[in-house]
Amino acid sequence: MPLTPMEIYKLLPKTNCKRCGEQTCMSFAFKLLNRDKKIDDCKPLFEEKKYEVQLKKLQELLKPLEKATETGLIVNSERCNGCGNCVVVCPVHVERDPRGAGIGKGPLIRDPIYRIENGKLVVLNVHACRRYGKNRILCIVCRENCPTDAISFLEG
Amino acid sequence: MICTGCSCLCDDIEFENGKILNACEKGFRHISGYKERRAKNIVNGKEVDVDTAIDKALEILKSTKKAVIYGLDTSTVEAQRIAIKISEKLNCYIDDNSSFCLGEFVEAILKKEVPTSTLEEVRDKAYVILYWGTNPYHSLPRHMSKFTYYPRGSKRNRGYDEDRFLVVIDVRKSEVAKLAKKNARFIKVENDIELIESFLKAIEGKASKYDVAGILREMKRADFNVIFGGLGLKYGLKGNYSYLYNLIKKINEFTPLFFIPAGFHSNMRGFNETLFEEVRAINKFSFLEKKSSPSFAFSELVKNENVDVAMIVGTDPLSSLPYEVSRKLLDMKKIVIDPRETITAKIAEVSICSAFSGIETEGEMVRSDGIRVKLSPIDKSEIDDVYIFKKILEGL
Ligand code: SF4
Ligand code: SF4
Ligand code: SF4
Ligand code: SF4
Repeated sequence: MPLTPMEIYKLLPKTNCKRCGEQTCMSFAFKLLNRDKKIDDCKPLFEEKKYEVQLKKLQELLKPLEKATETGLIVNSERCNGCGNCVVVCPVHVERDPRGAGIGKGPLIRDPIYRIENGKLVVLNVHACRRYGKNRILCIVCRENCPTDAISFLEG
Repeated sequence: MICTGCSCLCDDIEFENGKILNACEKGFRHISGYKERRAKNIVNGKEVDVDTAIDKALEILKSTKKAVIYGLDTSTVEAQRIAIKISEKLNCYIDDNSSFCLGEFVEAILKKEVPTSTLEEVRDKAYVILYWGTNPYHSLPRHMSKFTYYPRGSKRNRGYDEDRFLVVIDVRKSEVAKLAKKNARFIKVENDIELIESFLKAIEGKASKYDVAGILREMKRADFNVIFGGLGLKYGLKGNYSYLYNLIKKINEFTPLFFIPAGFHSNMRGFNETLFEEVRAINKFSFLEKKSSPSFAFSELVKNENVDVAMIVGTDPLSSLPYEVSRKLLDMKKIVIDPRETITAKIAEVSICSAFSGIETEGEMVRSDGIRVKLSPIDKSEIDDVYIFKKILEGL
């Protein structure tokens, strides 16, 4: 199940106190999901006892964020059979590695985003992914073409 | 390195810091696990050296007039050639897994009854790519990413969602069927013959049970389309292969359509081609009667007790054949030649440990589309199929 800002929002104080630097709790929820903010930035959650249960739940909810890469990508290795669809189909690979991954072979460039190691997908260079950084594009091409849903993104 | 894990024979396997790169999981297991569960050289339950085991095999082969040599789909072409010579000398039967796999499709291609092409051509040119009765996700894991739907080709360089049209025909929504999204069709088929009839009707502009007119329209847009036929299609045809070939011929009257079998044993096509070169038959052949016949298929020979000795190479009939057939194996003498311990070897009079083709021995294999591939082993074993077969041939 992909995580949504709404689910996070429900567990925040919802007071829009702005102490986190955001205008609203909702925008804080978005930033949390994008990993631009940390849960510690919402001080009231930690200071006020009445939020104790909520905080626990929120921490639980955000656990996958730790496993995910900086682009929100999670690979479920158990489901992956190394078919290579994701490696070949990635538009960044097509552009930068036209003689390797672009035409179906193993990547020939030094720093591909993905490659198959010991039969499983490994994320090598998440910084090259279109989902990375400020001007990110919410690309889902690799996930769309994984036949076993081994790839997922936190934001859905 | 070339991976011999399936008939894709992927040529881009690399090694780095103890890791195997680019091979799929099936290939990784195949390459990394070659030292495990190795067969032993055994004669009547006692471990012996390899030459003693070969001598015993010779003795058994010489003692009969009704032997069959079976398997060979993971052996190199060089080894297959010698095995064929052995069966010629013994005047016996020879057969491989293709008799219940895709042998008929390969035969039609070798006899030029159906137009075919190569996987590189598919990558560079194919528009409609039709998987019929096969789920390459399991049998040929990198087929789609390396050769067909996903790679950019010289004439198809805009990516799968613009430059390809995927059709998956299967009895269930397989992994590959799930990929048929945009610019694609999945047909859940109940009856392959009726589906062929639907295509024929749609060609004439008539309504039909399955809605396939759209697929034909897509094919017309392109100068290269391809069908990959698998086991599901073979069994769906119920022996009426000409229905399929006739359909392909009809479609070729208005747009190019090729056919490539999607068989999975690494060198099954090699066996078919090697035998075909020698005797114009692709499997289930009797050197005594100088012909091929359905009754000479390994399972038929065993079931009808027409053989009393079987030399089984690189396959495990006791675990793969139905019980009514496999129980009859108990009553005959078996020589098992395999790099890995098999269940059949446990009940065999003679078991000989061979080498993994392409990992420990060099040689040639034939990819599912007929392209010949030179293997590039990473290890070396003196005792391989070629060594064993040569000694047997010399001893006869
Ligand atoms: S600090 Fe917490 S309560 Fe205040 S606006 Fe930010 S998220 Fe909402
Ligand atoms: S999200 Fe897009 S750019 Fe990033 S790895 Fe997947 S396909 Fe490539
Ligand atoms: S597409 Fe899915 S199964 Fe195939 S290599 Fe990528 S993650 Fe693994
Ligand atoms: S697709 Fe087949 S040949 Fe290619 S790496 Fe996988 S098992 Fe080996």
